[in-house]
Amino acid sequence: MATVAPTAPKDRQLRARAVKKFRPVAFLTAPISVILLLFVAPLIILVIMSFRFESLYGFQTGWTLDNFRLLFTDPIYRGVAKDTLIIATTAMVCQLLIAFPLSYFIAFKAGRWELPLLLLLVLVDELNPIVRIYAWRMLLGREGLINDFLMWTGIVDAPLDWLLFTKFSVILVLSTSWVNYCALPIYASMKAINPALFEAATDLGAGWFTRWRRVLLPLAAPGIFVAVILVYIPLFTDFATPGLVGGTSSYMLGNSVADLMVTVGDWGGGAALSLLLLGAMAVVAVIAYFLTKLNQLD
Amino acid sequence: MNDTPAQGHIRIERVTKKFGDTVAVDDVTFEISGGEFFSMLGPSGCGKTTTLRMIAGFEDPTAGRIILEGKDVSFVPPAKRNVNMVFQAYGLFPHMTVSQNVAFGLKVKKVARAEIAERVQEALRTVRMDAFADRRPAHLSGGQQQRVALARALVNRPAALLLDEPLGALDLKLRKEMQLELKRIHGTTGTTFVYVTHDQEEALTMSQRIAVMKDGIVQQVATPRELYERPANAFVAGFIGTSNVISVQPGGARDGVAVMDLGDGDRVCVPDVGAGTGPVKIIVRPERMRVWGDPDGERISRVRGTIAEVVYLGSMTQLIIDLKTGERVTVHELNDDLKGALPEIGDPVLVQWAAESSYVIDDAGAVNVAVGSASPD
Repeated sequence: MATVAPTAPKDRQLRARAVKKFRPVAFLTAPISVILLLFVAPLIILVIMSFRFESLYGFQTGWTLDNFRLLFTDPIYRGVAKDTLIIATTAMVCQLLIAFPLSYFIAFKAGRWELPLLLLLVLVDELNPIVRIYAWRMLLGREGLINDFLMWTGIVDAPLDWLLFTKFSVILVLSTSWVNYCALPIYASMKAINPALFEAATDLGAGWFTRWRRVLLPLAAPGIFVAVILVYIPLFTDFATPGLVGGTSSYMLGNSVADLMVTVGDWGGGAALSLLLLGAMAVVAVIAYFLTKLNQLD
Repeated sequence: MNDTPAQGHIRIERVTKKFGDTVAVDDVTFEISGGEFFSMLGPSGCGKTTTLRMIAGFEDPTAGRIILEGKDVSFVPPAKRNVNMVFQAYGLFPHMTVSQNVAFGLKVKKVARAEIAERVQEALRTVRMDAFADRRPAHLSGGQQQRVALARALVNRPAALLLDEPLGALDLKLRKEMQLELKRIHGTTGTTFVYVTHDQEEALTMSQRIAVMKDGIVQQVATPRELYERPANAFVAGFIGTSNVISVQPGGARDGVAVMDLGDGDRVCVPDVGAGTGPVKIIVRPERMRVWGDPDGERISRVRGTIAEVVYLGSMTQLIIDLKTGERVTVHELNDDLKGALPEIGDPVLVQWAAESSYVIDDAGAVNVAVGSASPD
């Protein structure tokens, strides 16, 4: 065996191996820093804020659990939470009722219009949401287009009051907001269905309802649950819609957070509510995730 | 004709199907007897699948009628017809187990739960998949999925089972196994099987009768043996098995045989069809040509040639020979008859066959005189 000291080549080997191991980690530095800086750090700040209180002008500061306690004890919040639940869930159901047939049409019946329709669905989001909600105000108001039409045709004698600034208007606008995000996952799961399955079901004697219930629905279900995860959270936490078309009769938890943070200046309370909402939505997401794992409806 | 509808009897009566301007099925008529294993055979685009789908109800005929067990079902929706289909890609429901798949048709008909369980078991046993009752289709091989699709259709006890090239996706060995399986299951259940394929060997293996189709027109409906030995035209002759086509310019006719003299003792003898000295074409089957044996028959054609290819296949050898007349022919010879070594490429050979072993075809491809030796060689 050679007696020349083998240290030099061995060093180079070790260094090469270290560099190889380090390289993938190095690649991750950029995305990880972004996540840490823009997501984890604010979250930590939010958590810290939720446990602090500050009296007016900052004379007294300290740690407290009151921010959270108030949220559970003050009856106002219970009322707002109930309203939010009702509005958001109703809007979610309406969205599914719109998105499901829409996705079905695009996936199976659109033919050469499939791609243009999908494009349209994606482009819908290009419109600024505030502009879109304002457009609804123009449609629904006392002097809005709908009332104009109803009076002009003589269906009603006086403009309908309940079209705007009511729970109805909030649910209506929320039902059509993010419909594209609702429809796309459902469309994707429907595309994955082998169309021959419908023929097979027909051949075995199934009518349209049986085909829908026992073939389409179970196989599209994963898409439905993904749609719920994507859409329910923005619906539940939205504050622009109730703010602009809800008037005084619908006040949702999102509005609470906004008011606490901005109007009242109670950052502790706002932070605590935000965290609670985050927790609730996380629970919804986890439930829906496990539901996507279920693959049969039998 | 007997008017009482036989069980599983299907009649296709002057059925035409047009898609826009394209005629997929052109005035097709044939009958399938109850309990028969009937195949529709032909190249892609010949209309066989379209016809099958019309029997199933997925397409409506543009003209003509589909009569199932004596009743006109031409426009009856597929869900209401008493036929079931096995699709090319199986079409098993991925979110259900094997038993749930098989039970689907019965559940739709609201059969009692106990009866469903019993019939599903029976169907799975027939296709030998009873051990897989609780598996999902994703965990089954192609052949296994095939059998489940079969069970799912058969469990409904349909008047006829329609199969749309079901073995196309399987490898060769499995395909051959499944062909015999299908034949066995057909024998066990006694249901009419209507089978669509482009593989002539597959059709010959399983069917009792075959309808050969081309461009939407039925060329011939016959048993496998009739199709092979008495093809109605050049297309059928060429599609079923191999056939050699030889151009002949007869010099004269005598005793019902026209002869083309090629010199050196070589000649081609063909049955005299009254064409005089006009040119004709003949078809000869490869096993009727002889290289190392003696052909049976009185009027022997003899043509010299050179061996282009030798394919040893165990029990027989396939010889590709370039004849003196210019054609390249395929000859099948039994190796049992061979005394000595196999010929090699480039060897000169003498090819002989009897005049009775050839069919004369005219320019349109129709067989003028269908002559096939009724007795085996």
